[in-house]
Amino acid sequence: MKKLFVLSMLVFVFAFSFAITTITMTSGGVGKELEVLYAQLKEFMKQNPDIVVTVIPMPDSSTERHDLYVTYLAAGESDPDVLMLDVIWPPEFAPFLEDLTADYDYFELNKFLPGTVKSVTVMGRIVAVPWFTDAGLLYYRKDLLEKYGYKKPPETWDELVEMAKKISKAEGIEGFVWQGARYEGLVCDFMEYLWSFGTDVLDENGNIIVNNPKAIEALQFMVDLIYKDGISPEGVTTYMEEDARRIFQSGNAVFMRNWPYAWSLANSDDSPINGKVGIAPLPKGPGGKHAATLGGWNLGINANSSPKEKEAAKKLIKFLTSSKEQLYKAVNAGQNPTRMEVYEVPELKKANPFMVELFDVFINALPRPRAVNYAEISDAIQRHVHAALTRQVTPEQAIKDLEKELKMLLNK
Amino acid sequence: MNKKEPIVAFWMIFPAIFVISVIAFFPLFKTFYDSFFDFGLNPMFKREFVGFGNYIKLFNDSRFWAAFKTTIIFTVVSVLLETVLGLLIALVVHQNFKFRGLVRAAMLIPWAIPTAISSQMWRWMFNDQFGIISKLYEALGIIKPGTPILGRPGLALWAIIQVDVWKTTPFMALLILAGLQLIPEQLYEAAKIDGANMVQRFFKITLPQIMQTIGIALIFRTLDALRVFDVVYVMTRGSVGTETLSVYNRSLLMDRAFTGRWFGYGSSLSVVIFLLISIFAIIYIKSLKLQID
Repeated sequence: MKKLFVLSMLVFVFAFSFAITTITMTSGGVGKELEVLYAQLKEFMKQNPDIVVTVIPMPDSSTERHDLYVTYLAAGESDPDVLMLDVIWPPEFAPFLEDLTADYDYFELNKFLPGTVKSVTVMGRIVAVPWFTDAGLLYYRKDLLEKYGYKKPPETWDELVEMAKKISKAEGIEGFVWQGARYEGLVCDFMEYLWSFGTDVLDENGNIIVNNPKAIEALQFMVDLIYKDGISPEGVTTYMEEDARRIFQSGNAVFMRNWPYAWSLANSDDSPINGKVGIAPLPKGPGGKHAATLGGWNLGINANSSPKEKEAAKKLIKFLTSSKEQLYKAVNAGQNPTRMEVYEVPELKKANPFMVELFDVFINALPRPRAVNYAEISDAIQRHVHAALTRQVTPEQAIKDLEKELKMLLNK
Repeated sequence: MNKKEPIVAFWMIFPAIFVISVIAFFPLFKTFYDSFFDFGLNPMFKREFVGFGNYIKLFNDSRFWAAFKTTIIFTVVSVLLETVLGLLIALVVHQNFKFRGLVRAAMLIPWAIPTAISSQMWRWMFNDQFGIISKLYEALGIIKPGTPILGRPGLALWAIIQVDVWKTTPFMALLILAGLQLIPEQLYEAAKIDGANMVQRFFKITLPQIMQTIGIALIFRTLDALRVFDVVYVMTRGSVGTETLSVYNRSLLMDRAFTGRWFGYGSSLSVVIFLLISIFAIIYIKSLKLQID
């Protein structure tokens, strides 16, 4: 039906004028994502009769999308015009993306969450507009915490360890599940410990600062969760998001680190823990702050598109990232807005209360190391951190090895 | 002989030669060629000739040697187990018994399931919380409760070998069974008359007669095992010391194609895998005196 609609639009439009611009955009199709987008595009084309938008649905897996983009862009294709980009890709794809720095005011980027704008800024140039955002969160069992006399979720990592120890022992379930398999998700988790312990992999200028006592302490803490405190099962070293969620959702864990998407699933009708779940910011470390890794998706424009297509693409991006459309997307597809003012709309709070209550988490979410060769850096972090988690090397040695490899990768 | 015949013959086989050149030899030579350059697929990167530089770098790469060792252990252990088990199974299903056809068909099922799917299935069965194999091993006292089989250095490689043995033993059994069926019954009858017992019949008749078949089967399996990728990638992605040469190569050629200058380096690793496989193939052919043509 939708295809037919677009096609008939196209024919109609060609019959009457040549002032029409046709653009293509890529989109994911997770959950209700695509359905929501089609409804939004229908509205956009009604408002802009001179523009026709066709959608190229992408595979769900981020890695597969990445490989497709690489093929399109390296071949110098002018399609797709609008690219949906994972938060970690802008530096890698920057040479192929339209420079949007001059359009800062046009897109009202000053009204966006600062972290998301930072993630689309590559060496001072803005190459995309944030579309929706994501951040690491702490899920906890409200009912169990109450039962054992805790009024609030843990404020610090030490509190989490103490609560998890006590409750998991008494209940005979796991204490804390997270993502410890060797893949991209481990980088997200590791960064959160680093930041909350007050350190980082690279500093603002891209210098490698990871080899320091705080980083070693942070990694030691992750290792201790498994082997010393015993609140995380040794199996976390093989878990990804869904493995952790399955355990938590079946009622077999007190705490879980995961993304916002798990909220509606944990509270679905057939979930054993429906209504018993709370969400909080991830605990503070000795560095004294809560920290969350930034996830999410941005919209960029293909630099090979024609000027006319680029103009139309800009209009489309402005429309899709407007307050009204972000609210529509958040309520209907459960994807967090990137504009700050949307969080003040009562409708959002009604549909997804945690988005508003945890606004601070989303505003303070931090990006993973920004570098052109992020894929290689991520691979290095994954391997060395995982080697420590599986006790093949000490945390100290792992951090040392990581520094050595990063020096080679960044030529420093 | 008609003078035209060779010319006609040439044009008859020309399409085959052409197709093979395009799909087999061209990529092979291109990989050889690429391995002498330092470059990435990003158009920003310039191609730089480095001679044997990539190979020298490769032989100083500890990650390469770790993957090399893992590949060899995986190959030797899994092929050995598969051959022995395959031979035993072939000897059993070679006998006449009820439902023989059914058993022969059923035993092929593990081999018929695509590896990507069966590996995922095994990954879940090895899960520390709900995996049935984990629970079984716990009940038998082989592992302690809560041990993540695929997250333990050492254990994970054995688990992967186990899956590979489960998957490919049927293939070995099938090939050896075909060899067994070619042995003339008269040989056994004559041996029986001469008073040879079962063990003697096996070592003096069966084994020498199927040596050729086993040789061919060994080549197939060894070459496959040396470039093993899917079962490892799905189950552990090469973590906890299970990274094989092909898994490392994927990381160089796919993940890093556009972000670094690794493409030539990855090509040199491809060439090394190719040479390694060739060496094994030659050793087999020579030592088993196989007739290829």
